[in-house]
Amino acid sequence: MLEAINLYKRYQQGEIDVVAVDHLTYRFPAGLTAVVGPSGSGKTTLLNLLAGFDVPTEGEVRLGNIPLSALSEDDRSELRLKHMGFVFQQWNLIPTLTALENVAFPMMLASIALKERTARAAALLEAVGLGPRGKHLPNRLSGGEQQRVAIARALALNPPILFADEPTGNLDSVSGARVMELLLQQAREGRTVILVTHDLELARKAGRILHLRDGRLVRVEEVSPVSAAEASF
Amino acid sequence: MLAEQLWGDFCIFTTLREPFAVILMGVEVLALIYRNLRARPIRSILTLLGIVVSTASMVLFLSFGEGLRKALGAELSTVGPAVLVLPEGVEAFSPGYPELRPDIVEALKNSAPELGISQVIPYVVLTRGGFDPQSAFVFQGLPDGIGPQALYPNLALAEGTPIPGPQGAVVGSRLAERNQLSLGKLLRLSPSVSLRVEGILKPNGGLSDNIIYVPARVVQAALGTRNYTAAAVGVSAGFTASQVAKAIQARMAGVSAQTTSDVMRFAERAVRISDLVRFGISLVALVVGGLLVANTVMMSVYERIREFGLMRALGAKQGFIFGLVLLEALLLGVVGGLLGLILGQAASGLVNWFTGREVGLALSAVTFRLASFALLVAVVLGLLAGFLPARTASRLKVVEALGRL
Repeated sequence: MLEAINLYKRYQQGEIDVVAVDHLTYRFPAGLTAVVGPSGSGKTTLLNLLAGFDVPTEGEVRLGNIPLSALSEDDRSELRLKHMGFVFQQWNLIPTLTALENVAFPMMLASIALKERTARAAALLEAVGLGPRGKHLPNRLSGGEQQRVAIARALALNPPILFADEPTGNLDSVSGARVMELLLQQAREGRTVILVTHDLELARKAGRILHLRDGRLVRVEEVSPVSAAEASF
Repeated sequence: MLAEQLWGDFCIFTTLREPFAVILMGVEVLALIYRNLRARPIRSILTLLGIVVSTASMVLFLSFGEGLRKALGAELSTVGPAVLVLPEGVEAFSPGYPELRPDIVEALKNSAPELGISQVIPYVVLTRGGFDPQSAFVFQGLPDGIGPQALYPNLALAEGTPIPGPQGAVVGSRLAERNQLSLGKLLRLSPSVSLRVEGILKPNGGLSDNIIYVPARVVQAALGTRNYTAAAVGVSAGFTASQVAKAIQARMAGVSAQTTSDVMRFAERAVRISDLVRFGISLVALVVGGLLVANTVMMSVYERIREFGLMRALGAKQGFIFGLVLLEALLLGVVGGLLGLILGQAASGLVNWFTGREVGLALSAVTFRLASFALLVAVVLGLLAGFLPARTASRLKVVEALGRL
């Protein structure tokens, strides 16, 4: 279970102190949780802290019993490798690797044998509907296809948590819907999927929506009873 | 602490435990690096060329020292008498005006049995011309009745007589060929002294092919002295060269007795000094090559900041990124080093073709020792050039690298 405890992040922007996340507490249950808010509300900073890309000024992020900020950079990397998957809005794929190799990359980091990881990567690409595109480099794939490769890669090591930061931001409506369906499918399978978006309509597909404003969690909205859990903050 | 940190940076595959897995991953990482280099072909090729040229120039510069060592060794192995007696302070390969007095030569002959000497062949050397081998002539004056085969037993006669008469000369094969000398032709030793070619030797593949062997008296007359340049001394059975050399030194003042290994040692000292000078010059090219690699790899790091950020976000450790960048520089260094070695070898072959044609000697040699040294330098160059970019890349903050601030 991923948990934010009294999370506070302040950083310097020129001469001004900016509070990006302001004493936020929330326990993320299984299922899809959308984080919404206007630009500058702290969505991306929250994701950075939850994923261990950055450390909070105060408070902590816990994965089970492990406080992320107590870990070294390398230990946080290892924790991400084993427990988290990522789909970003852009810069999602390694440009010199094929789609198949991109999916297999985390498995290489996890020392999974070449044969096994190639087979698993091919199966994942098949699952996201990109089986025949495995040998293509990212620049030969459309935006939607790249996002689907990123989803396949995020699932490579079967992590319990998926982060998606504006995953449909650059996509047309058909591609966006397809990507969203894949994320929902992961949520239905019991993963914790955290979707950061400014698109409220997209967020409505999630089990619950966290509304952020000026770094503060102002409202938790339960949308669907299917995967909803008790909200606490 | 620093050593631990550096070692930590160097141990790139820290998540792996089994050696086979390390090798397998190493191969894949190399493939990843190769893809990255191929993605920027022109820059990679130009960088590679920089290393190739700097390594090749180092190989060629240092090959002259190696060639000289080999040539000297080969020359000395063809000399019959095992000890050379020279005036004190004169080295075998830098004879100046003849200073070995005839009385010393006589004393050597008189003490021959007790010093373990089997034969004494005094000789006098006169050089004419300059550095251009086409116009340079070396006359070696030998005692009456003695031919060049007494000094160089491997020499064989092609035509004529092996021992020069009172106004005759026996010439080395390459010199005869270069100057179109045939039996009966006249050679001018000085404005007043001319000698007739009486014998031509077969090629021997050394300096002796470029020498004109004449009577010592003629050279001494031309120089206006009765002195000799040196005396070659044979060793009697039951004695070693070193024993005889020591005995001569102990008995006679004002001379230096050198065995072939002494001569080789002096030569080695001189060659080593010139090696250092030549390495110093080639170091400039190496430093430029190293900076070229460092610049390319650093540029590559800045261009790929997001890629490294993504890798870190996906779970790559700092050591993985460090190794990836360092190996890229290393790969450039090793491949550039190998190609530079091949180019250096080719250039060395070209030099040898030229010097072989001119003086009959291979003056350049790319030995195993030199090849290993050049590759080692290329590897160290790659490591040094890649270290800073690798450290920079491995210490990037994920949020900054991904532009997620």
